[in-house]
Amino acid sequence: MQKSTPFLILLFLAVVASVLVCTGIGPAGIPFFGLAGDESASIILFSVRLPRVIAALLVGCGLAAAGAVMQGLFRNSMADPYLLGTSSGGALGAAAAIVFLGGAFHWVLAFFGCIGATFLVYGISRRGGRIPVEQLLLTGIAVSMFLSAILSFLMYSSGKSLHQIFLWLMGGFWSVGWQDVWIGLLIVPVSLALLAFSRELNIFSLGEEDALHLGVDIEFLKKALLLASSFITGLAVAIAGSIGFIGLITPHLMRLIVGPDHRVLLPAAMMAGGILLVLSDTLARTVGNEVPVGVVTAFFGAPFFIFLLKRRYTG
Amino acid sequence: MIELHDVDLDYGARAVLKDVSFESGNGEFLGVIGPNGSGKTTLLKAISRIVPPASGTVMLNGRAIGDFSSRELSREVAIVPQAVDPGFDFPVRDVVMMGRYPHIGRFGSENDDDRVTCRGVMELTGITHLADRSIREISGGELQRVIIARALAQEPRLLLLDEPTAHLDLGQQIGILQTMRDLSRTIAVIGVFHDLNYAAHFCDRLILLHDHRILAMGEPAVVLTPDAIRTAFGIAVTVRKNPFTGHPFISPLPVPDSGAGGRGNVHVICGGGEGSALLQALHAGGYRVTTGVLAVNDADYTTAATLGIPCIAEPPFSPVTGRSLGELALVLKDTGAVVLTRGLWGPGNIGNLHVLESAQVRGIVILDDRQGEGGAWDFTGGEAAAAFSRLAAAGAVTVGDIPSALAAVAAITGEGR
Repeated sequence: MQKSTPFLILLFLAVVASVLVCTGIGPAGIPFFGLAGDESASIILFSVRLPRVIAALLVGCGLAAAGAVMQGLFRNSMADPYLLGTSSGGALGAAAAIVFLGGAFHWVLAFFGCIGATFLVYGISRRGGRIPVEQLLLTGIAVSMFLSAILSFLMYSSGKSLHQIFLWLMGGFWSVGWQDVWIGLLIVPVSLALLAFSRELNIFSLGEEDALHLGVDIEFLKKALLLASSFITGLAVAIAGSIGFIGLITPHLMRLIVGPDHRVLLPAAMMAGGILLVLSDTLARTVGNEVPVGVVTAFFGAPFFIFLLKRRYTG
Repeated sequence: MIELHDVDLDYGARAVLKDVSFESGNGEFLGVIGPNGSGKTTLLKAISRIVPPASGTVMLNGRAIGDFSSRELSREVAIVPQAVDPGFDFPVRDVVMMGRYPHIGRFGSENDDDRVTCRGVMELTGITHLADRSIREISGGELQRVIIARALAQEPRLLLLDEPTAHLDLGQQIGILQTMRDLSRTIAVIGVFHDLNYAAHFCDRLILLHDHRILAMGEPAVVLTPDAIRTAFGIAVTVRKNPFTGHPFISPLPVPDSGAGGRGNVHVICGGGEGSALLQALHAGGYRVTTGVLAVNDADYTTAATLGIPCIAEPPFSPVTGRSLGELALVLKDTGAVVLTRGLWGPGNIGNLHVLESAQVRGIVILDDRQGEGGAWDFTGGEAAAAFSRLAAAGAVTVGDIPSALAAVAAITGEGR
C-alpha cells in the first residue's frame, strides 16, 4: 500500500495541472496567467471555463468511484456505474422534463430517475432480506431495457424536443455553470465515504460467501455501496448526462497500475477519472465546434476497452 | 463447545438435514463422511450460520449462534470452502491478511500483531515463498493452502473444512491433513471428507451421513463397517486393519459380471497371498470359484472369505489333513478347470499337489509369475518340483500373468460346452 503513495501524489499533481492547463485552453485562446484586468477574458475564464473544468473533474471522479465500486461488488471488471439501470432511469427523467416541463428541472428529474431506477432494481431483486448479486445484475438489465423502451416511445412522440433529448443523451458540459459545480461538490464526500468500505470491498471481491465467512455484514455492505454509488451516479448524470466509458475504463486502468486493493484503487480511480474527463471535455470543446463529450470518451474508450478485453483473454 | 440439537434444515421443499444432533469440542478432529447430496456441506453451513436451520438449535460455547454478531462469529468459527474463485489478482499476503478482518474491523488498520499472525499461518501452511505472488497465478493446490492460511489467520476456535484437500496432490494432502490434525489438539476441527481412508486415518471421530440423517457416529472403527458403507454408498467393501497404523482401511470389492457363476467352475490352489488377485479376477470374471486347501491364517483365505468364495480350510499352521484332501478330491471331480499358483511348497501343503495329480482334471493352468526368477520355493526336497514337471508334461498350460490365466481358463471351460 505504501508503495503506491508516490503514484497517488503524482496523480494529485496531475489533477491540479490538468485543471490549470485546460482552463487556459479554448477557442478564445486566453493564456491563463496573462490576463491583466481584461474583463471579458476574466468572464471567459472564471464564469465559463473554470466551472466547466471543475464540473468535468467532479463528474469524472464520481463516475470512476462508482465504477470501481460496481466492479468490486459484481466481481467483474466489465461492470460500470450504469449497470443497475441508472443511466436509463436518468435519461428517462431528463427526457420527461424536456417533453413535459419544457426542460425545467431536468437535472432534478434526471437525478431522481437514476436513484429511482436503482431502488426499483434493488426492490425487485430482494428475496427474503437478501439480495443475490446475480439477481441484481439480471434485474438491472431488465429494468434498463424497460426504461429504455419508455424513453424510446417518449422520443418517438416528442416532436420538436427530439434534438434536445438527443443532445442530453450524448452527455456534455456546454451548459454547466457554477451552480452545477456546487451540486457536484456533493460527489466528493460520498466518494470519500466509499473509502471506509474498501477493506470489506476487497474481501467481497473474492466472493460473497467468503466475505460472509470472514464476518463481513454483506447485506449492509451491498445496501450502503449501492446507495452511495447510485447517489454519485445520479449527480453525475444530472450534471452532464450519461457519459460513457469513464466509469468503466478508469477503474480497470488503475487496477492494472496500482492493483486491486480498493484502499488505493478508489482514490487513484477518482483522480484519474477526473483527469480523463477534463481532458476529454477540453478536446470536445476545442476540436470542431463543441462535440458532445460522450462522443470523445466513446471514441477513445471503446477501442481501449477492446484492447483490455483482448488482453484479458490472451493472458 | 459446538452443539447441535435436533437440527432440521431444508432448501425450500427439499429436506437437507433431518434430526441432526452431536457435539464436538477442543482437541477433537471430527470427520463428516457420506455420499454426495447427503448434506455434508450443508452441515458445515448450518454450523457457520450461512444457512439457518428450520428447527433445532446450534450452540457455540453455550450460546445460540444466532446471537453472535457477524464479526464475533468469525473470530470463533472459520471455514475453508471447497473452491474459491480468485476474481481480482490480489497478492497472497493481502488475501491472508483479509483473515484478520474480524479482528480489525471497518475503521481499524492492521498492526504488528496482525502481521505476525499472518506470517505464522503462512509458515504453517507452507506458503511464505508465495507471499508476493498474485492469487490468480498460483496453482489450485497453492490457492487452497492460501485459503486455509486465511482461515487460520482468523484465529478461530472452531475450524470447518469442506473437503480441504480436493485440489491437492498426494504429498500435499497428507501434509495439510497432518497440520489440521496437529491443530485439532488445541482447537476443534470439523472436516468433510470424500476419502474414507483419510477420514479413518486423521479423525478422532466420524459422522456418517446418509439420506440427510446421521447413520452412524463414533470412532472410525465403529462407524466404518462394511454394512454401514453398503447402506450409505451402495457399494461392497472390505474393511481391514491397516497393519502400519491400526486404523480401519477400506477397499472396494470388484463387482461380479451380471452372469455371476455362470461361466463354469474353477478351482484355485494357491497360498501365501499369491492367489488373491487371481481369485478376485476369476470371481469378477463370472466364474464359480472354489479354493483350498488353505490355512485360515493365509491371506488368500481372507480374500476368499471376503469374496464369499467357498474354501476348504485348515486351522492355522496345521498340515493339510486327509479329511480336507478328501474334500478337495470331491471338488476337483466337478470342476471345469484348475489354476495352480507356483507358490511355496512344504510338507504342510504338498498334499494338495498329490490330490491334484491323482484327480485327473481335464484342464490345469499353472500361473507362474516368477518365471526365470530364482529363489527357493520347493521345501519338499524336490517332490513339488517333480510334481510340477509331471503336470506340465501331462498337458498343463503354464502362463506368466493373470490375463493369460483368464484366457487359458476361458479356453478350457469354453471347450467343455
